[in-house]
Amino acid sequence: MRIQVRRTGGFAGIERRAEVDTSGRPDAGEWRALAERALAGGRDRPPSGVPDGFGYRITVDGTTVYCADPRLTEAQRELVSRVLKEGA
Amino acid sequence: MTRHGGPAPVFCSIVPPHVLDRLARHGDPALARPARRTLERDALERTRRRLTTVVGATPLAARPGAEAGKPHRTIYDARHGTELPGHKVRGESDEPTADATVNRAHAGLGATFDLYLKAYGRDSIDGSGLPLDATVHYDEDYNNAFWNGEQMVFGDGDGEIFLDFTLPVDVIGHELTHGVTQHTANLAYFGQSGALNESLSDVFGSLIKQYTLGQTAAEADWLIGAGLLAPRVTGTALRSMKDPGTAYDDDVLGKDPQPGTMEDYVHTGSDNGGVHINSGIPNHAFYLAATALGGHAWERAGQIWYDVLTGGELHEDALFADFATLTVSAARERYGAGKELQAVSKAWEQVGVRTL
Repeated sequence: MRIQVRRTGGFAGIERRAEVDTSGRPDAGEWRALAERALAGGRDRPPSGVPDGFGYRITVDGTTVYCADPRLTEAQRELVSRVLKEGA
Repeated sequence: MTRHGGPAPVFCSIVPPHVLDRLARHGDPALARPARRTLERDALERTRRRLTTVVGATPLAARPGAEAGKPHRTIYDARHGTELPGHKVRGESDEPTADATVNRAHAGLGATFDLYLKAYGRDSIDGSGLPLDATVHYDEDYNNAFWNGEQMVFGDGDGEIFLDFTLPVDVIGHELTHGVTQHTANLAYFGQSGALNESLSDVFGSLIKQYTLGQTAAEADWLIGAGLLAPRVTGTALRSMKDPGTAYDDDVLGKDPQPGTMEDYVHTGSDNGGVHINSGIPNHAFYLAATALGGHAWERAGQIWYDVLTGGELHEDALFADFATLTVSAARERYGAGKELQAVSKAWEQVGVRTL
């Protein structure tokens, strides 16, 4: 499973992208469950968000959803922070 | 905006504003308080008079228990969570806490309140004494600060790229100005209107820093977010109004993408259509106008920009040219056909934005 996160906006307006390929990872099952929960709470189009808030695009094996700060679900927040931290 | 059919009371001030202003800063509260109140009422009336011609008068929202002309600040601590507003840690009359972040937020809100009141006679971000709430220590290693429509939110930064977002006072002023914009022109946060929304936050954020330091346009650094970047990052700030595109150039962050003229306008879908990128163009126009005029930038250049932001003629979906044209009219209306008008017109011409 390929999980890609693109974060745009924010006060700095600096874009960040990262992805995690879970195949062969011992925690692949955990990633899959988290990714599915994150997708379930996402939107088809970027929500308007708030001034200076981060906007996120989450793509999991070709399925893309959008979400924006500060209204992320728990799963979305955990997924984006893990991918941006651990992903390449 | 609520429409209200009743006639606005006529209000004329006899004491010149600059005298009131000096009195308002007087050490004796018996002198300072009434002067401050008058200044505020004067500017409020002036603003309302202009607004009345466009949208009809709005009723004065009296806030029970709140004294006009004073900030009503509350700082909350999210304790690294994301629940807003979090735990209350400092109220308006509370002593400083042991947490420097909390105290900086408190001081920054005060500095912002001061500029709006003393320079423009605006009582808080809505003009009616709105309480100012801010949450610090939002989330973990959170590299951002934002305005959520009701309050400010500040992250601590990750220490790798960004430090604590309460460090630069212009960042605090920037966030609060999003509140002012929301309560006035309400510029749509996308494309050119979004870049204008961003630029107004940078302009007044920088003016709050300049006002706090007592700097002239020539002395100011015209940087947004100076002191926010961690030591290992190659850069001085996040944006430069003086020289857009030169604030940072770093291995991890990349290069500051801001254009300073329309020739380099960036067409992009991300960042709400580049609101933090193309804001460099109106930012630079303000810098050019303010430095051409010299002296304190919040006085004439800032006043003209403030007149446009609050004047009721700036549309939610305004383009750069619409905004520029209104600044030219505002300069003429307030200062006549003098050097202010010339400086503003020339500034827009230099950044390639046509005024009508």
